[in-house]
Amino acid sequence: MQRFRDAMLLAVGVGFFIFQARPTPIYAASNRVASIAGAEFQVDLPPSSATPEKPGAGTSAKPGAEAYAHHCAICHGDQRQGLLPSFPPLLGIKHQMTDPQIIAFVHNGKGRMPGFPNLQGDEMTALLRYLGSPALSVTETASAENSNAAAIHSSGLVDAGKSLFQQNCAFCHGRDAMGGETGPDLTRSKLVLSDVAGDKIGEVVRDGRPEKKMPSFNFSPQEVLSLAAFVHDQEAKASSKKGGRRGVDVADLQTGNAELGKQYFNGAGTCAKCHSATGDLAGIASRYQGLQLEERMLYPRGATSRVTVTLPSGEKVVGTLAYLDEFVVGLRDSSGTYRSWPVGHVKYLVDSPVEAHVALFPKYTDADVHNLMAYMQTLR
Amino acid sequence: MKFLKKAFVVMASVLVLGASSYSLRAQSVDSAMLLHPPADSWPSYHGDYTGKRHSKLTQITPQNVNHLTLGWAFQTERNATIKSSPILVDGILYFTVPDNVWAVDARSGQQIWHYTYPPNKGDHIGQRGVAVYKGWVYFASPDAHLVCLNAKDGKVRWIIEVADVNKGYWSTEAPLIVGNHVIIGIGGDMDNLATFIRAVDPDTGKTQWNFDVTPPALTASTGGTTWMAGTYDPELNLIYWGTGNPTPVLTGSTRPGDDLYTCSIVALNPDTGKLVWAFQPSPHDTHDWDAVEIPVLVDGMFHGKQRKMLMQSSRNGYFFVLDRTNGKSLLTVPFGPVNWASKIDEKGQPVPNPVKEPSPDGVLIAPDEGGMTNFRSPSFDPHTGLFIVDAHPSWSLYFAKPADGTFGWAGADYGLWGKGVIEAIDYQTGKIRWTHELGPNGSGAGVLTTDSGLTFTGDAHGNFLALDTANGKTLWHAGSGAGIASSPITYKLDGEQYVLTSSGSVLFAWKLPSASR
Repeated sequence: MQRFRDAMLLAVGVGFFIFQARPTPIYAASNRVASIAGAEFQVDLPPSSATPEKPGAGTSAKPGAEAYAHHCAICHGDQRQGLLPSFPPLLGIKHQMTDPQIIAFVHNGKGRMPGFPNLQGDEMTALLRYLGSPALSVTETASAENSNAAAIHSSGLVDAGKSLFQQNCAFCHGRDAMGGETGPDLTRSKLVLSDVAGDKIGEVVRDGRPEKKMPSFNFSPQEVLSLAAFVHDQEAKASSKKGGRRGVDVADLQTGNAELGKQYFNGAGTCAKCHSATGDLAGIASRYQGLQLEERMLYPRGATSRVTVTLPSGEKVVGTLAYLDEFVVGLRDSSGTYRSWPVGHVKYLVDSPVEAHVALFPKYTDADVHNLMAYMQTLR
Repeated sequence: MKFLKKAFVVMASVLVLGASSYSLRAQSVDSAMLLHPPADSWPSYHGDYTGKRHSKLTQITPQNVNHLTLGWAFQTERNATIKSSPILVDGILYFTVPDNVWAVDARSGQQIWHYTYPPNKGDHIGQRGVAVYKGWVYFASPDAHLVCLNAKDGKVRWIIEVADVNKGYWSTEAPLIVGNHVIIGIGGDMDNLATFIRAVDPDTGKTQWNFDVTPPALTASTGGTTWMAGTYDPELNLIYWGTGNPTPVLTGSTRPGDDLYTCSIVALNPDTGKLVWAFQPSPHDTHDWDAVEIPVLVDGMFHGKQRKMLMQSSRNGYFFVLDRTNGKSLLTVPFGPVNWASKIDEKGQPVPNPVKEPSPDGVLIAPDEGGMTNFRSPSFDPHTGLFIVDAHPSWSLYFAKPADGTFGWAGADYGLWGKGVIEAIDYQTGKIRWTHELGPNGSGAGVLTTDSGLTFTGDAHGNFLALDTANGKTLWHAGSGAGIASSPITYKLDGEQYVLTSSGSVLFAWKLPSASR
């Protein structure tokens, strides 16, 4: 029985591999064949599509690239970048394995990787040469003379991390990791300062920070290591660098007058209608400080709203608002159970005290904000 | 004889019209076609040169739109969100995410070819689509190269470097074809770089002209990154392009004055690149409010006088109506909460209030850095005179101090709160005639209107919406499963009208079941 099950698994696995093995030439257009007839990949591969046209360049890289496209690209990606988490990148594989080791791997397979015993001779030599080549950068294709191209992927950990960072992180955190469009300055981040070889950074990268809109990323441990190396390198450079996006220090936020802030809190700001310095806000400055305290003061993100839904029967369901668009209202009741209704079928009333903060935005002066902040900082 | 000639002309017209409505004509994308796009095409970023994103198609109506059903969906199988506007010619759609171009059958959603660009260290924030001209596809790579592909099979014809990625340049822009020019812009708004708009030869990629966004004679500032396809008026022979923010971004001390021509709408001669006029929505910007939003070209009455107008709902929170023959202001009005300008001057430009420059202890600013709107397209409906835009009322804190230096961002800012709302602006007065709430934080979906009175867009929860253009009421919706970050398009093939929307990394084609047509 065990043997039968193994045979079945093997058959399914091989079938899946053949089904997946459609032609995927690199650096050029590929035809994704619409039907399962795409399994005829051996004859389908357009021989001339392996590399972009490259004026004056030789063709020596071609057989290796074609061998790669034939046998490896489907799992390890068009550009050896890997398809994480299942298939590791092969860029730089020669730094990890010797040629005989790679050959043994290719011939015998391992785990879910099938063996390719027929890959021999010139084709294998070409493949090995190709695997040892740096990533084909565009600079190479655009101007064959540019010798910087090879440096992009072949140098050390920091450089590898830099490339990854610039592709995936720079738009939010800035090209220099000192903050960008939406992400904070990482060179002054407490988490980064306490990170050792990616132990903390890796966690954030893998899990993301959904509450702060940071997505999660699938990086290999090696890639996380290189990202961390780059960020720490930037951290070291940051102290000497003049520019960049900088964070906000607690000391920056001390320009207000606490007494005026208290008056605003109890008067024009109408804060005292919902809040109390000795009640819900008691000790608030011990829990939050600096910018975090000021942001929460102006608009506490993630504050919950209550909703009362009246069913056609007249029954009322009360709970925490869990979802609301113009079509569906959803709540969590006191037992934690999620329930939802089409809005046309029920009546509902949302109670969102946090909206009072939105109404204040047009009324604040900057002095009001600074004074209120000074007062909040006294609530330890 | 005269009668015969007339009869012949009438007959010929009938034949041509008949043919065009029943069968797909072979479309060579040339200048003439781009000037008068047929209904079975969407041959440039905005569909036509005006940027109105308004379609004359009327098969899908307010009465039958609730029957709309999925024609097909195309999975890119990539993580990247689709931010591009698909181009449609000869029944084939071309669209992108960074490093990737697809050619897909517009009838079935089947892939025809897929081009992947080599790994590179350009910024991969987004890619807004390709341009197609005479059988060639033009694609801007994240590392600021322009790639020319064969439209038939996606094979590379040539790749040219537009700017040096090692200096910090990158690109997301969909090129625009005007006459014999491929017009492109490059990015680099965090590295104190000088930027430009460039025209290249469609055959060779050779530079025809450069327009320096920050003119060398005045370059106290850098920046001005252009990253959205502009619009074109063939009668005036002018292209209209929005330019980005100056650098250093949040600190303006090293670049006093207006920082021409950043955060501007520039009118250029497409044959020479020479500046004809400029209007600056955000003089001396210190809030990252690129004025790259679509300069929408509308001909019509303004306060009783026939005008050639240009309208922009700008990221800085103001809606502008200009006379596009000369750049003179006709109307400037906020379309949501704004608090950074002290007044509107006689030129119709907001005057920044110095106390609302980023400060060491923070200033409260509306709108936030993402702006009252952004790259998502608005639409102009000529029947109602409504300029319909996905707006983003929002508040934020802006900081800058001398220690932040004068390179790159040179400060910090933090969004506090925002929401999404579709606003229908009466361009004669700037008054908002109706609004449609989209939900917390906001939507990234653009707007498409049709002659039948429909407005297509998306909300903050990922619902595709069809609204009644007359009053903003929802007529149809479909949950898409992810955020929407592109602008809808529409086309008619084999007698069927399709509406194309994207969500996450998937493209959706909607149409009516045959029984409902």
